[in-house]
Amino acid sequence: MPYLELLLSGILLGGVYALIACGLNLIFGVMRVINFANGDLLALGALLAVTLVLSFDLPYVVALFLVPLIAAAIGLAMHGLVIRKIIEGPMIMSLLATFALSMIVVNVSLLVWGGGFYGLPQVLSGSVSFLGQDVPLARLVSFLLAMFAALTIWWFLQKTRFGKAIRAVSQAPELAVVSGISIERVRYVTFALGTGMAGLAGVLMAPMFAVDAQFGVRVGIKAFAVIIIGGMGSYPGAMVGALLIGVMEVFAGYMFGQVIGAACVFLAMLVVLIFRPSGIFGIGARA
Amino acid sequence: MSASPDILIVENICKSFGGRVALSDASLTVKRGSITGVIGPNGSGKSTLFNIIAGTLKPDSGRVTFDGHDLVRASPAQICRFGIGRTFQISRVFAELTVLENLVAVAHGMNDARAVERALELLDFLEIGHLQNKWGNELSYGQRKLVEIARALILNPSVMLLDEPFAGINPRLQNRIIDHLKVLQTRGVTLFFIDHEMRIVLDICDELYVLAEGHIIANGDADDIRSDEKVKDAYF
Amino acid sequence: MKGIVALVAAVAAIAVLPGFVESYGLSFLVQTLIFVCLAYSWNLIGGYAGYAHFGQVAFFGLGAYVGALCIQAGVSWLVAPLIAAAFTAFVALVLGMIMLRLSGVFFGIGMFGIARVCESLAMGLDGITAGGTGLYVEVADLHMLYYVVAGLAVLIVALTWRLDSSRLGLQLLTIREDETAAAALGVRSTQLKVGTFVLSALMPGAVGSLYISYLGYIDPFTAFAMMTELTTIAMVLLGGLGTVFGPLVGVVTLSVINELLWARFPEIYLSLVGVIILVTILYMPRGIVAYAQRKNWPLVPVARAHLRHFAQRIQEARK
Repeated sequence: MPYLELLLSGILLGGVYALIACGLNLIFGVMRVINFANGDLLALGALLAVTLVLSFDLPYVVALFLVPLIAAAIGLAMHGLVIRKIIEGPMIMSLLATFALSMIVVNVSLLVWGGGFYGLPQVLSGSVSFLGQDVPLARLVSFLLAMFAALTIWWFLQKTRFGKAIRAVSQAPELAVVSGISIERVRYVTFALGTGMAGLAGVLMAPMFAVDAQFGVRVGIKAFAVIIIGGMGSYPGAMVGALLIGVMEVFAGYMFGQVIGAACVFLAMLVVLIFRPSGIFGIGARA
Repeated sequence: MSASPDILIVENICKSFGGRVALSDASLTVKRGSITGVIGPNGSGKSTLFNIIAGTLKPDSGRVTFDGHDLVRASPAQICRFGIGRTFQISRVFAELTVLENLVAVAHGMNDARAVERALELLDFLEIGHLQNKWGNELSYGQRKLVEIARALILNPSVMLLDEPFAGINPRLQNRIIDHLKVLQTRGVTLFFIDHEMRIVLDICDELYVLAEGHIIANGDADDIRSDEKVKDAYF
Repeated sequence: MKGIVALVAAVAAIAVLPGFVESYGLSFLVQTLIFVCLAYSWNLIGGYAGYAHFGQVAFFGLGAYVGALCIQAGVSWLVAPLIAAAFTAFVALVLGMIMLRLSGVFFGIGMFGIARVCESLAMGLDGITAGGTGLYVEVADLHMLYYVVAGLAVLIVALTWRLDSSRLGLQLLTIREDETAAAALGVRSTQLKVGTFVLSALMPGAVGSLYISYLGYIDPFTAFAMMTELTTIAMVLLGGLGTVFGPLVGVVTLSVINELLWARFPEIYLSLVGVIILVTILYMPRGIVAYAQRKNWPLVPVARAHLRHFAQRIQEARK
């Protein structure tokens, strides 16, 4: 078994998972909302990137900046119109609401792009030699950019004033209010950040995979598994979890095939839920 | 049933959360038919002690015995069925049920007719009969407190555990509740509660325990407590 | 008394209905009735007990495969559903004891994971399940199928009716509202949760087996389709969580919407359903019937009226 090749492949895949998982995790940590529609924003991001580069002839770099902004704007709208009204209710309601939002996003994507698969294989094509392996340039660049973005946001959360406000709201909302932090503003920004990260992950995926309008559902669900394994509410947990999942999926996929490879991810999630519900780093999940 | 004078015995309870010690060797006894109170400043460990007795928290060490039953190893549902009723500090009235349904739902062992009858009796006793068809989440704060007391009484418990029953309600309602509790005492119910309102506790309790920083620092009747130096130090 | 009349009326309606519709209509009815069974089952664990989850289709799919294997082994298609139901009930018992220890969202997502794992097992264990190729069985007579599924639907609606006016139903609602408080007040929440979960797995198992007799074919994708799950949940959510007629209202509404919109606006069908779900969640978070009961709409029966009748009688006797 080509261990090194699979390991590298898994880590590179995990890098992009990390971006979307961190975004989901951020939203969950601050608002206890599981954004079912996050994966679809990833798909939308990828599709938008394809359109910008191929139809509008814009350089890939422009897409890298523009698409996350668009995704963040959509996130702001989602929060303003829907999320903020159901946030006080039981969690299952927000799950169903974001699921409904997901349906709408998928439908819009289907309307605009149809059911076909789109990708940007011509961007960042070619490979690079790394540790004796031929690594596709696109994967390497995506991994580096994803990690850069994830770590930048982590730095933002740890070091800046607003970042600390976000963490305060996620850990102790009552205290945060008393300290004069505007919970409303924090929630808006968090949601926009989370969706923006998903959009960026989408742009980064376009050169690596062919994406269709339904892609988001498949990825989004794995992102849940990632944050459960890493620990809901833990940002580094989401990153580590994502890398683990990426590796696990690639190995299992090689040994048993695609469908089972994906199911192994869920099996791991179930094992974690049963034996260590708080995940590797995270907060509780017990009844 | 044993007729020992002590109906509830708490022995050497220790509990820590992470590195912080919440309770250290806390012991108390509740005499049958008495009104016993535990007071202490915020952070003294009252809620922890209360929840351990009620069964929603397990101690690191120590024993809680009720009429011969070991409560530490029992689940909250079992503790309820042993004959202990409880209310909650932050109201846990069932929101999407009516007040009547709130009571009937937990009237174990009674058929519906009998349960409704008993529920109406209790609601009348607490003078909230007119609220019977109101939904749980339509009630005011004070009304919830009363409904919780009624709900806890439906199984005719021999001991009532009340979690800060007087917190956040106006003095007139407080006095009404005090009257109802005294009537319950004449009917043979033992009352145990925690609170931090000194005035009320000193007024109605037969026996008092003062908790500070996880230790029981004083114990006796109202006069004993009033004159206790350690209590004054702890509070002021 | 009212119940018996309603039951007889329902049975009569069901008996004569096939006379009015041709084959396509009968097919539509069978599918709708299957959803009735699924929705009412989900309503038990998600609507009454408050443990909503996204994995019920796992029991449907398991039932379909067990049914297919039984029929291929020579068992009658009328007996296969019973075996399938017993199997899914057993799986639910084991699964429930493990998974119901998790709180709300984690239980919900965990069950979703279970469904995905089942799907991949169906794919992977191709020695038994023929993997992606799927299993084929003889299609059963549509009329007979209709009566069997209709019978099951009537059964589960009647069961829900009995539950709704029982102490057990009330206790499930307390678990939904506040499990900690319910337990502290003597409600045996663990036993009730697991019992309800097992009950909620019986019908999907049976109906899964009947589905394969209807379709003549099953593969992992069809058996464990997410769309089945989400449609079921949407129906209960729309119609009314934890009510007797909510799921029925939801099934009828969504089926009708489905038929109308899918034909005319297939491109925006998904969005429309999404919008409907959103609007319901925002304005009637527990569904139409529950909302109507809370707001005391005329013609909508009050929830748990039997208790109010007792109260009225007692208070009148006192005067």
